[in-house]
Amino acid sequence: MNFAIEDSPEQSAFRAEVRAFLAQAVSPKLEHSVDPCDMSLEQYQLRRDLGRSLGAQGWLYPSMPKEYGGGDLSAEKVAILHDELSRIGLALPPYYDAGGRMSAPTILVWGTSEHKQRFLPPICRGEVRTWQLLSEPGAGSDLAGIKTTAIRDGDAYVVNGQKVFVGSSHGADYSWTIVVTDPKGERHQNLSWLMIPMTLPGITVTPMDLLATGGEGGSGSGVKNAVFFDNVRVPADHLIGGENNGWKVASTHLEVEHGGMGRLADRRVIYEFIELCRERRDGYAIADDPGARAELVELYIEAEITRLFALRNHWLAHTNQPRSYEGAQYSLRRKLSGLDISEKMLRIAGPCVLTKDKRWGPLRGTIEYFQRDAITALHPGATTDIQRVIMARRIGIGGREREKAGALR
Amino acid sequence: MDLSLNDTQRLIQDSARDFVRGACARDALLKFDRDPAAMMDGLWPQMSELGWTGMAIPEAYGGTGNAMTDVAVLFEELGTGPVPGPLFSSAVLCARILLEAGSESAKKAWLPRIASGECVFALALTEAQYGWSAKSIRFKARNEGADFRLTGTKVFVHDAQYATDLLVAARVEGGAGVSLFRVDAKARGVAIRALDGFLTGMSEVTCDNVRVSGDDLIGWAGDAWNALERALLAAVPVLCAYQVGGCKAVFDMSVAYARERTQFGQVIGRFQRVQDHVIQIVNHLDAARWTTYEALWKLDSGADAAASIHVAKSVASESYMRACDFAHEVHAGIGVVREYGLTLHTRMSRSLYHCLGAPRLHRKRLETALGLAPA
Repeated sequence: MNFAIEDSPEQSAFRAEVRAFLAQAVSPKLEHSVDPCDMSLEQYQLRRDLGRSLGAQGWLYPSMPKEYGGGDLSAEKVAILHDELSRIGLALPPYYDAGGRMSAPTILVWGTSEHKQRFLPPICRGEVRTWQLLSEPGAGSDLAGIKTTAIRDGDAYVVNGQKVFVGSSHGADYSWTIVVTDPKGERHQNLSWLMIPMTLPGITVTPMDLLATGGEGGSGSGVKNAVFFDNVRVPADHLIGGENNGWKVASTHLEVEHGGMGRLADRRVIYEFIELCRERRDGYAIADDPGARAELVELYIEAEITRLFALRNHWLAHTNQPRSYEGAQYSLRRKLSGLDISEKMLRIAGPCVLTKDKRWGPLRGTIEYFQRDAITALHPGATTDIQRVIMARRIGIGGREREKAGALR
Repeated sequence: MDLSLNDTQRLIQDSARDFVRGACARDALLKFDRDPAAMMDGLWPQMSELGWTGMAIPEAYGGTGNAMTDVAVLFEELGTGPVPGPLFSSAVLCARILLEAGSESAKKAWLPRIASGECVFALALTEAQYGWSAKSIRFKARNEGADFRLTGTKVFVHDAQYATDLLVAARVEGGAGVSLFRVDAKARGVAIRALDGFLTGMSEVTCDNVRVSGDDLIGWAGDAWNALERALLAAVPVLCAYQVGGCKAVFDMSVAYARERTQFGQVIGRFQRVQDHVIQIVNHLDAARWTTYEALWKLDSGADAAASIHVAKSVASESYMRACDFAHEVHAGIGVVREYGLTLHTRMSRSLYHCLGAPRLHRKRLETALGLAPA
């Protein structure tokens, strides 16, 4: 076995290349707001510029095929890219593009060759930003119970309904959206996916006021929105994966969202917190207290297990190994250990973790944000309970037949 | 990056799997449990023939010098039994101690005989003040000309009842530090008494004025602790792999039972509360697995493995015990019927919890490894 993401001269050279590239491509004006909701339009544009530079190299979506603007890179090189971006406080993509991140692998599996030619290159090159639209006021865990309809009318689907917990600040070019295309059809056989251009008439976006945005470390998602569709006419060729075949298509989308790919270089804040506790100021370090040390070690072990699950999933997905329950297992662990770690931080360091005050909030307020984010992160991409349901099915004890993991390529 | 087993490891895994399924099927394990001597007669010659007694020993001393990860792959499979016996104590732990602490002549004298299976070593370290650090060792040795005399009691010694030879940690009167002696298990004054109860393979070892030749002092008088600690640290992840195997076995048992046991007109695996227990087991299994194998990789590649090893033992000891607990929740009544076999694991999970240091000790050491506490 080899747990090193960099273990050959070629890979070391690649890391040097990436580092040199980023030194050039990352604007000196780029700043990191602690709370992604505070990211200005100018800062967002700087991240999009970086995305286009990465995309031109095939590095924005490095595991996608080259012919669609990806990099066709190995598991190691993809990991090195994540690692180098994380080192400078960014993620891959460096801005919120969850719609692209989930739709690109999904289109790769379920799209026609025309869909792939048309939709994948702009995503991979960073020319468009895409949101994902799944949840509705009446359909969270029960995704198949959505009500937003898309009814065929000539050369278009007419979309009506409301989606919630959508996207980010500063808009999007596309919305990767799951809809009901057969309102009278049977459950699971009435759904489809649409790639909806956000410029179409009849779309209204309203921000939601949330505790935090949840997840997406380093990519700065910003505020979540409610999106209303009022007789929006979407060209029929924007339906991907076949009409009423959306539940099957969702299996790939959800496999990615549920952590099937593993999220590397995540949650640096945890390791920074340990560093903080080691630091000696005015002759005192938090780690001087034996009780605090004991909790810190627990926190470290929690973080290490989560890191290893992510690494394992990254390797499984990028080397086409058989997978079953691992995606949901990682997601479950990430959510629960995140919450657990946030509570340990509170116990260890005291109420300073609750403030973003410039004088009293540690690590520029990132710990305060983590306190809110760990709670918010419990729901996106399915609750912990749903992750357990998926695990049970994949292990082969939940359903009558053992469920297979969603196809990734 | 490659998290798969290599070809050598796959071969080891296959032969170990065949061995566990064949010679160590449930009925055989239950028989060995009642009659440990039968286990030594039946299994030990096979284990030696398969070369397992020499895997962790360099070629220069009659072994095959395998990587620790190779050895761990074997022990993960043995853990699925759980296959009892002194293979770990003798061929991994004591072999490593001799390698770290022994003189060239001691290595030449004993390692080939461990590798061939002729000698079976066990480590007698822990005492009434139970613990795996130097301060817990009070056992006395007295210098007598070129020889030593050993008097004292070791307890909770793993695998002593199978041993031909013991490595005994002691303090020589008049000197500081820990010394290590090889003691013939049959020597006059040595008494080995297997402990009864909810444990597997643990004994009390008493020495009453046992004469030990100066040649059997391993390393220097009063100076064995550092080498001993290095050896213990290197052996830990192999023991963890055995615990991983145990988790794997109780996971497989629980999945199979949840799929076949019917109550309220349906298989119990359809109940989400039962599912939760099974999910807990697999989460413990994978946490133990990946922390263990990362530690092994660091050990084999010469990186600083200390922090990872402390994490692995903290996780694996806890995981095996908790996995068994959850398996009992899934199995309910049938799980405590001895014939069913689950309790072999439950008992083993308790017996190994403290072996080579409990999670509490390894967490304390992790504080130091992370720079949170002074060494």
